[in-house]
Amino acid sequence: MSREPRVRVWDLPVRLFHWAIVLLVPAMWATHEIERMDLHILLGQILLGLVLFRMIWGLIGSSTARFAGFVRGPRTVARYLRGRGGPALGHNPLGGWSVVAMLLLLLTQIGLGLFAIDEDALHEGPLSYLVSYETARILAHRHETIFYLLVALIAVHIAAILYYRLVRHDKLVGPMITGTRKAAAGDDAAMTPAPLWRFLVAAGLAVGGTLAIVRWL
Amino acid sequence: MKHILLGAAALAAIATAAYAQRPAAPVIQQRQANYKQMAAAVKGINDQLRSGSPDLAAIRPRAALLANYGVQVLRWFPRGSGPQAGTRTRARPEIWSDWAGFERAGARLLVAARAVNRAAQGGDIAAVRAAMPALTRACSGCHDDYRAPEH
Repeated sequence: MSREPRVRVWDLPVRLFHWAIVLLVPAMWATHEIERMDLHILLGQILLGLVLFRMIWGLIGSSTARFAGFVRGPRTVARYLRGRGGPALGHNPLGGWSVVAMLLLLLTQIGLGLFAIDEDALHEGPLSYLVSYETARILAHRHETIFYLLVALIAVHIAAILYYRLVRHDKLVGPMITGTRKAAAGDDAAMTPAPLWRFLVAAGLAVGGTLAIVRWL
Repeated sequence: MKHILLGAAALAAIATAAYAQRPAAPVIQQRQANYKQMAAAVKGINDQLRSGSPDLAAIRPRAALLANYGVQVLRWFPRGSGPQAGTRTRARPEIWSDWAGFERAGARLLVAARAVNRAAQGGDIAAVRAAMPALTRACSGCHDDYRAPEH
């Protein structure tokens, strides 16, 4: 049995972050639906830490994790849409922007939740005390609106995965689990991993930043 | 002249009928506004309790409002101000079919709100803090039984 050559695409932190989001976003919805707002607020703070970590990892992480590596200009995106431009290792020029949109939506959603309050003033985000009841209620309604935008973007994300799988015969889920995919002709240099100390720095900053926001601010 | 008078009377009758169709609307809107004020008061008190140096001057008027509204709350629900009234309300029909139970829920609110107010007017922050959980339990207990879900 011959083993096909495989190439590393995603480092472990990127994959763990991705699957943590896959678990936590539905969990956020469910805890709201069953009115376990204590859990909802706790999980929201964990999500804040994860998203902060991913933003920092986008600056100092492995080559495919970095914003500088996958956030491309409009011309590159247009070229990709026309089917030109070589295969990308990591996010393609269009997918890169969907990552940015997803992170911004998550961050907005978590930010709104920090200040939100329920109509009975029984459950409130950790920063709700900084705003009036009326403002906190408006932010809670925005929190609901952003949720629907998030669901819409997730639907686009899943549709794109299906499109690549069915039309372009490119399996994207496996690599997000194993971290590797089949090597393709025209692959540019393989992923450059980041050393462990960078991960520790990013994780430390994310945890510290989250605690600073929810405890001391 | 007679025609004008008749016309005016007809208009008045129509206007009255239209108004009579939803006599409960102002009642419902007023009680919803009152409940929002109560929630804002609860938040205002919690905000102070949460801060390092709770400000009694900010707590007292809010505690007084809660106690005051605790006295009134049953009067906000005259017969006919339920879901059949034509104005959007989450007040469940059980309020009126189980009025005795609703009265007990109202009494729990009044007792709890008075305890918070007594502590606040007495200047005892620790007692305010200790009295708040009973108040929020009274709120959510009644909402569980007598208020329809949001959607």
